[in-house]
Amino acid sequence: MIAQEVLNEWYPVAMAAQIRAGQRRVTQLLGQPITVELQKGAIVVTGQGGALHVTEAYGHVWACPGTPAHDLFPIPEALEPCRRLVDVGVVRVKCSPLRAVENFLDIAHFPFVHTDVLGAEPHTEVNRYEVQIREDSDEVWATKVTFYQPQAAKSAEGGIVTQYMYRVAAPTAAVLYKTCPNRTDAWDVIGIFVQPLTEELCDVWPWMALYDDVTPQAELIAFQQMIFLQDRSILENQIPRLLPLDPGMEIPTQADLTSIAYRRWLKKRGLTYGAQMVAA
Amino acid sequence: MTPRWTATGLSQDLPKGVVMAGHWQGHDLAVWRSATGRLQAWNDRCPHRGMRLSHGFVRGETLACIYHGWVYGAEGGCKHIPAHPALTPPATITVTAFACVEQDGVIWVAPADMAGSPPAVSGVQPLRSVSLTCDLAAVLAVEPALLGQDILRGTVQIDGQGHDVCLLVQNNPAGLTLHALCGVRANKVAASHWVENLRRRAEMKVAA
Repeated sequence: MIAQEVLNEWYPVAMAAQIRAGQRRVTQLLGQPITVELQKGAIVVTGQGGALHVTEAYGHVWACPGTPAHDLFPIPEALEPCRRLVDVGVVRVKCSPLRAVENFLDIAHFPFVHTDVLGAEPHTEVNRYEVQIREDSDEVWATKVTFYQPQAAKSAEGGIVTQYMYRVAAPTAAVLYKTCPNRTDAWDVIGIFVQPLTEELCDVWPWMALYDDVTPQAELIAFQQMIFLQDRSILENQIPRLLPLDPGMEIPTQADLTSIAYRRWLKKRGLTYGAQMVAA
Repeated sequence: MTPRWTATGLSQDLPKGVVMAGHWQGHDLAVWRSATGRLQAWNDRCPHRGMRLSHGFVRGETLACIYHGWVYGAEGGCKHIPAHPALTPPATITVTAFACVEQDGVIWVAPADMAGSPPAVSGVQPLRSVSLTCDLAAVLAVEPALLGQDILRGTVQIDGQGHDVCLLVQNNPAGLTLHALCGVRANKVAASHWVENLRRRAEMKVAA
């Protein structure tokens, strides 16, 4: 039995362009079969109990199997005219959808998992940053995050200290804002939209809104795919597969403040699909 | 189940500075050899975020987790957390260590408080390890000359001649692993083919 709090949230279920092009996607959401397709010019998501609530945003189709508790979260930067919006495509990962989001919020792994790209020894220290649960939007935010990166983005030349902000916008969706190598007055925006197929299997859709007029689309996608495939080798080898929400099973440090806040936020809101509640 | 020594690999397959996955009766292990040759077997899970330590890397006398680089030293104590270089990790952050000894070219594991030594396998030389998708009954059915439970031994035909072989049995979550040793006069290439052929015959027996 899936909690109503879980059912009343929005989840990504397809890339909108593919459905608009006439492709039909037969997939799963929260363990139930669903179909995403175009009917008379409108995108429709059908489950066993009939049509689901649907909205289209940030290049993706979002569905809510229950009664939406709120509108889909805003990403105002997606509307800025000069940004390049990049749908990266899908990566299937054998892990809890919550573990996939938590890994996206983590910077301490950069030197070891994304070696010589997003991090490199001996630059491993994670400086103190700020984390809060914003009451107006009910989102987890991490700000004033800094990290040394050998190649922060496809467009970066040489190492820079990158500034980050992280934002958990939905139980299985997060957005990061990072130093844009081409502009000092703007942030690059990267999202991770995770479709919970089951509690231990997910489809991950990275998405980007960048200031980069130069790099070919294929290279931008290849860069992000490379990063995420490196993450997958971690995500499929964490024990247990579910994300432990009770303390005792895992040992966080100060560098894990975002992860701690994410776990607390999930627990407080009853968003426990993909979570392990009792220490094993 | 009574605790007992289980063979988890052959010495020749674990050089200095390398970590590999091991198992002891349903427990996943990270088995590794330090730069100076010290052998250890630990619970295959970093206590920080649950990552398998068998995916980690050996540096000097330490094993580090591949996820965040947490460094573990002798007896499984955490020595260094790269995200906080100035911090001395609390002594409570430890990985559970198992008993791990090398004997007759075989790596044996057991719980840390295991008494005694692993069983001796004399008169044979290490050959190779092989993983099978079938169970032990299928192996015994296709090669009746092999006798035993945890240690199978017998004289089998290799290149038309009778040779002594010894197969050390390891039951894994995914199936069965056999660590094979053969008589010192046997041709190792021919004996290796015999092992591979045994695997194929046993797996086909199940499929049939």
